[in-house]
Amino acid sequence: MHKIKRLGCWIYTGLLFLTVISAQAEEMMDANEIVAKANLTAYYAGEDGRTEARMLIKDAQGREQKRQFTILRKDREEGGEQDFLVVFSRPADVRNTVFLVAKKPGSDDDRWLYLPGLDLVKRISAGDKRTSFVGAHYFYEDVSGRGVEEDTHQLLDSDGQYYVVENTPLDPSSVEFSRYNAWINKVTFLPEKIEYYDEGGEVYRRVEVLASTKIQGYTTVTKSRVSDLRSGGETLLEFRHQAYDLGMEQSLFTERSLRKPPREWLRRAK
Amino acid sequence: MQHNVVFHLLALMALSSTVSAADDWGDDSWGDEPESSIELHGFIEAGMGGRIQTDPQLEDDDLTLAELRGRLESERYVGDIRLSAKLDLYADGVDDALQVNLREALADISLGQNADLRIGQQVLTWGTGDLLFLNDLFAKDWQSFFSGRDDEYLKAPSASLKLSYYGERANLDVVWTPVFTHDRFIEGERFSYFSPLVGQQVAAPQYKLEPESPDENLKNGEFAARFYGSYDLWSGHNTEWAIYAYKGFWKQPNALNRYGRAYFSPMRSLGASLRTNIADGIGYTELAWYEGEDDSGSDPFLPNDQLRFLLGYEQEVAPKLTLGLQYYREQLMDYSELAANDGDSPFRPDETRELWTVRMTYSLLQDNLVLSWFSFYSPTDQDYYHRPSMKYRFDDEWSLTVGGNIFGGEQVHTFFGQFEEASNLYARLRWSY
Repeated sequence: MHKIKRLGCWIYTGLLFLTVISAQAEEMMDANEIVAKANLTAYYAGEDGRTEARMLIKDAQGREQKRQFTILRKDREEGGEQDFLVVFSRPADVRNTVFLVAKKPGSDDDRWLYLPGLDLVKRISAGDKRTSFVGAHYFYEDVSGRGVEEDTHQLLDSDGQYYVVENTPLDPSSVEFSRYNAWINKVTFLPEKIEYYDEGGEVYRRVEVLASTKIQGYTTVTKSRVSDLRSGGETLLEFRHQAYDLGMEQSLFTERSLRKPPREWLRRAK
Repeated sequence: MQHNVVFHLLALMALSSTVSAADDWGDDSWGDEPESSIELHGFIEAGMGGRIQTDPQLEDDDLTLAELRGRLESERYVGDIRLSAKLDLYADGVDDALQVNLREALADISLGQNADLRIGQQVLTWGTGDLLFLNDLFAKDWQSFFSGRDDEYLKAPSASLKLSYYGERANLDVVWTPVFTHDRFIEGERFSYFSPLVGQQVAAPQYKLEPESPDENLKNGEFAARFYGSYDLWSGHNTEWAIYAYKGFWKQPNALNRYGRAYFSPMRSLGASLRTNIADGIGYTELAWYEGEDDSGSDPFLPNDQLRFLLGYEQEVAPKLTLGLQYYREQLMDYSELAANDGDSPFRPDETRELWTVRMTYSLLQDNLVLSWFSFYSPTDQDYYHRPSMKYRFDDEWSLTVGGNIFGGEQVHTFFGQFEEASNLYARLRWSY
């Protein structure tokens, strides 16, 4: 009797264990896979895409600046190399300035800047990707994505609505953070909140998705915010008029488009 | 005429302010206005600059920059043709005149999938150098550059026709400028210059440089071409290559006719450049061969042929701090012929002119403050030109730039040395709309 009871206990425990396993198999256990999928969701929707964007940059004293631009993007390979063309329309002093970036995960990006006043195509060094993008609190890397292979990833929590993944840089000297945590939506795989920690373990920078929607079946951010918790400054970023899988040619991402912005892709579909 | 210009300048300012008022980025403003509406942009700028010492040749002219400038820009599409115009009107206190400067008035016409045509008044730039030009023989405005106007004014516009063809592996630009457009060179009014003929520093009115321009006929038009492309040379790094050619005239009046009057003598050039990622920065090199009319090099009143070479590197050495270094070399051909025929001129240029440049650019305060230092130094001419500047952007509309143009050298006749008395400090306050 006693033996039978113990056997039953074992079987019960075994069943319980199996159930737990299968329940978790529906979710993802591997932090690398989660991060890879989130990276595709956030930066690789469709084969190509266009979006209009505007930023409201606020400093700690409440002074505001604005930027408005259109981004055209084409993926060379899913999760890998991409080309970006960023055409500024406002404010007046940067109007018609154009950025061309060939993003190369694991290597230095190729970058060009077109200055319309001088008709100058300037090649710019890849530089530090964790510095301000056109005066905003966003970094270049926030706009074009950080290589997933640059950090190690550890799943901290998967209980609620989010996978919480801790990311630690392989080369700490190349970045200003000691680690960052990302809250990745379990359903859409959109990273909806990222918090950056300094050496002392304090959160000093936060990037949040404030609104998102489905466009052509792709989860798309429409509003986000980055907060510099040290200075008190923040930048609001809004996206509109997004469209994917437009059939952009590779030749769109060349010097021709710097000197003569491609109107057929910059203007909105009627 | 002058009243007319004043009227337009005032009208422009009034118009600008109304445009700005209507341009508030409310929550719903995404530039949703219909495409047919005309947007106006530009700026109004007040600039002031003065010599840091007196120029004995221009004793009463302490000011090197004194102007109120209005810029009006607009672009629109007519069908698939893009029209763009940029007009400057400015009251110039140094020239004591009201000036009109048409920076741009062009039409962009697409000629099918692989070709574009740009026709009209336009600014043109190509080549790899940073403030050094080898194969870029489009007009420059040295008066603006030396007096501290915005960098964009270094390039002067020309009425040209630019045809571009885009191929699978290579592209071709051909530029035709029917009427020769020379540099806006130092002619002795704003800044004095050294005259080898007189043997000393001279200035207007007596020595205002008024060279003879080529006759305005089709034969004297300028042709410039660039054949270029890129390919992944190593480890996926995009390497840009280009071959350049030019047929026209020297852009500076560096020839003398038999009456002792300066003129622009014919020249041709051929060159090439490469630019790629090296280490963590950008490396580039450019070569140009200038061939003038003096085949043997023996005529001291005609420029000799030249070989120009440039090597440059630029890198972001710390976050937001960019460092650039260039080595430039200009070699005079047939130097012994020149030396044998110029009557032992003490002002004969060296056979080789070497130049080093350094650029430091540092952005801080969320890119609102940009500190920049650019220096030219020639070990062969023993002269220099420093260009420190500081630009602060108060907001999206207001910005202040202060800077200097500091020249000096061991000898009075060298390229930068002759402008020692032109050294100046300036400030510009700009409101953009």
